Amino acid sequence: MNKENMKADTTVLPSEDVTTIKQKKRKATFTWYLFLLPSFIGILLFMVYPIVESFRLSFYQSNGTIETFTGLSNFQLVLTSATFWNTVWNTFFIAFFQIALTIPLGFIFASMINSVRRGQNFFKVIYFLPNVTSIVAAAMIFQFVLHPEMGVVNYALDAVGLPTSTWFSDPSTSKWGVILLAVWHWIGFVIIICLANLQAISPEMYEAARIDGASKIQQWLFITIPNMSGTFAFLLITGWIGGLQRFNEVYVLGGPNGSPARSIQTMGAFIYERGFTGFEFGIASAATYIMFIIILIFTFINLKVSKMNL
Amino acid sequence: MKKIKWSLLLVLALLFSMVIMTACSSDDETGGESDTGSETSEEGNDTSSEGGENWDGQTINVQLIGDFNMEDSTDPITGQTTKGLQEIKDQFESEHPGATVEFTIMPWEGYTEKTQAMLTSGEADVYQMPGIADFAAQGLLEPLQPWIDEDEEFSTDIFIDNQMEGWMALGPDSDELDVFGLPFLGDARFITYDKQLFDEWGVEYLSEYPTMEEIAEKAKQMTGTNPETGEQNYGLWFRGDWSSAFTLINLAEGQGGQWGTGFAWDEIEFEFDSPEMVSGLEWLLEMQEYAPEGLVSNQGAEKWLTHENNIGIMLNQGPGDTIMPAYAQDLGDRIGIAQEFKNDDGVGGMFAGSPITMAKDSENKELAWEWMKFATSDTVQQYVFEEANAMPSVQSVETWDSYAEVENLMEPTVEAMSTPWTPRYPWASSQPRFILTSEVEAALTGERSAQEAVEKAQKESVEWLENR
Repeated sequence: MNKENMKADTTVLPSEDVTTIKQKKRKATFTWYLFLLPSFIGILLFMVYPIVESFRLSFYQSNGTIETFTGLSNFQLVLTSATFWNTVWNTFFIAFFQIALTIPLGFIFASMINSVRRGQNFFKVIYFLPNVTSIVAAAMIFQFVLHPEMGVVNYALDAVGLPTSTWFSDPSTSKWGVILLAVWHWIGFVIIICLANLQAISPEMYEAARIDGASKIQQWLFITIPNMSGTFAFLLITGWIGGLQRFNEVYVLGGPNGSPARSIQTMGAFIYERGFTGFEFGIASAATYIMFIIILIFTFINLKVSKMNL
Repeated sequence: MKKIKWSLLLVLALLFSMVIMTACSSDDETGGESDTGSETSEEGNDTSSEGGENWDGQTINVQLIGDFNMEDSTDPITGQTTKGLQEIKDQFESEHPGATVEFTIMPWEGYTEKTQAMLTSGEADVYQMPGIADFAAQGLLEPLQPWIDEDEEFSTDIFIDNQMEGWMALGPDSDELDVFGLPFLGDARFITYDKQLFDEWGVEYLSEYPTMEEIAEKAKQMTGTNPETGEQNYGLWFRGDWSSAFTLINLAEGQGGQWGTGFAWDEIEFEFDSPEMVSGLEWLLEMQEYAPEGLVSNQGAEKWLTHENNIGIMLNQGPGDTIMPAYAQDLGDRIGIAQEFKNDDGVGGMFAGSPITMAKDSENKELAWEWMKFATSDTVQQYVFEEANAMPSVQSVETWDSYAEVENLMEPTVEAMSTPWTPRYPWASSQPRFILTSEVEAALTGERSAQEAVEKAQKESVEWLENR
């Protein structure tokens, strides 16, 4: 290419370049929108539409085909139903003790695993295994683990001279059976999340503390725990959301009406019972929205309490 | 650049049209000929179904629930090879040249909502439908009495007594019970007992129609350390959770009581707090002393139908969980069956099973009716009994060789099928069932007395009715 040609090229190129960049940008943006389109359609069809339809249904008495507009009466029925408030109590009770037990226990186990020099991965796998187990399968196994006569837990309690329990056959102990299952299932996740945070804490802080004469316990109390606050807040919020949506395990253990005597029936099970065993889709939809509002308010409170910024 | 852009748009348009075509296409090979099918259906009306009539292009979809398979498979209980539905399909299609029958098989889990979805969207022509009362009231089912009346070849006399009556239901605008379904799978509730345990304890076997007093006395005698084996035995077991409401209702029936009256929701009057219900629940509380711990959570009967069984009497049992499993465990001769508690008219116990119904919007009703007759013929009924571990609903069962092989358990089962409370409890799948179940559980776990429990169940059920 000679110099004259080059000169000619440079005089033409600037204006074309500007157009090309604009076009490229537009095209790139357009392409990304195209890629997003399938998932967006999926969200519209399978999330937005059911949410809107469920909201509409909550104002109707509906069995799926025959509908009658009833205004706010479904909401009134649910909010004045003693059975519904019993399910709210059950849901919060189980979720509270699951979280109150699992987060501290998981953190302690994570701290212990983080302290061992050998076999860390082995312990991580062992403790995480319950979390990858299907909760449905785990619930069925727990029925045998907590069997009043043949269960290993009662056998162990009896062996050390403690009183045994009928667990899922008694309304006063059935919730604790669910809590045990929930703790066992969730603790692996808590341990892994805590471990990730523990390993991210700078070793220099511990080194400085040691030079200042801090004991192991003091290091744990004043360095480790304050540095874990973000993780605790995350576990608290996700734990509450998951706990308030609980359905699978209580359905396996107690059916849709949370046997015995509705003692383990959660809000999710109440919705299932009314919607899918009795064709009361309007009541079920209203209960779903009330549950949504309860979770929304409670998550907002949790965010404020834990000072977590989203 | 433009070329690339156009190519991209073309590819996207093609993909989009493929998605649309896939979504809108039918998996029915003859789906595109539905108009022809309707015309042929008219012809089918003019001619009888027999004699090689032309069913060209007509397709029906039959929904079935439970342990059905298209292909041959191995039975998980008996280990024997069972024939698939293909054989039934081939036979029906050969008897109806040109017709195609397709099956939609679903599990029992969540069958109600799946049936509702299928029925609403017109997915099938014939449905297996235990919850017939709910669907008939929605006006989605074809009334069958005109079909029965017009078909000279068909008679409802083929069915075991009470089976037709059990499935009668109310249509959307009707005040009288009508026929919307034909009995397809039979079912029954009865009391089972372990003859070996009775022998070991020296207790006389249960009579054919035991009373509550007889059950209580024999359960008490067999609770404790077995005099021969030294094992802990329990006199009795019943499921204290899921089906406990039906166990209690049967106890009331045995004393001359009933669940209530009416069939349409605006006519129903519950009698959950009747004296018979109170004494029935008190009897269950007493019987709990002779049962292993855990019956409220469906635990304690794990050894039943094993050689190590430790329970004498089982209340409210069904044939599906008893007959074939007993023979599979080589316990066919060890198990005995007695009837549930009956009233003075000889009636009592929950009516159960599955009818088959025709969708009102079926495009091939003639062919659907042909299938319904075929499904209640000896061919298919024998198939469901011998291959699908289900109970037939026809009287001719007593003449089959396969019946003779298991006669000691089948004979009382057929008897139980002919004497249940009919029509089926209209609230059996609705909120009152769960209300009553929860209150029975509350009484069994000591939360409330029997009187308080049934009164609460009555109050909540009536309130639920008023708010419907």
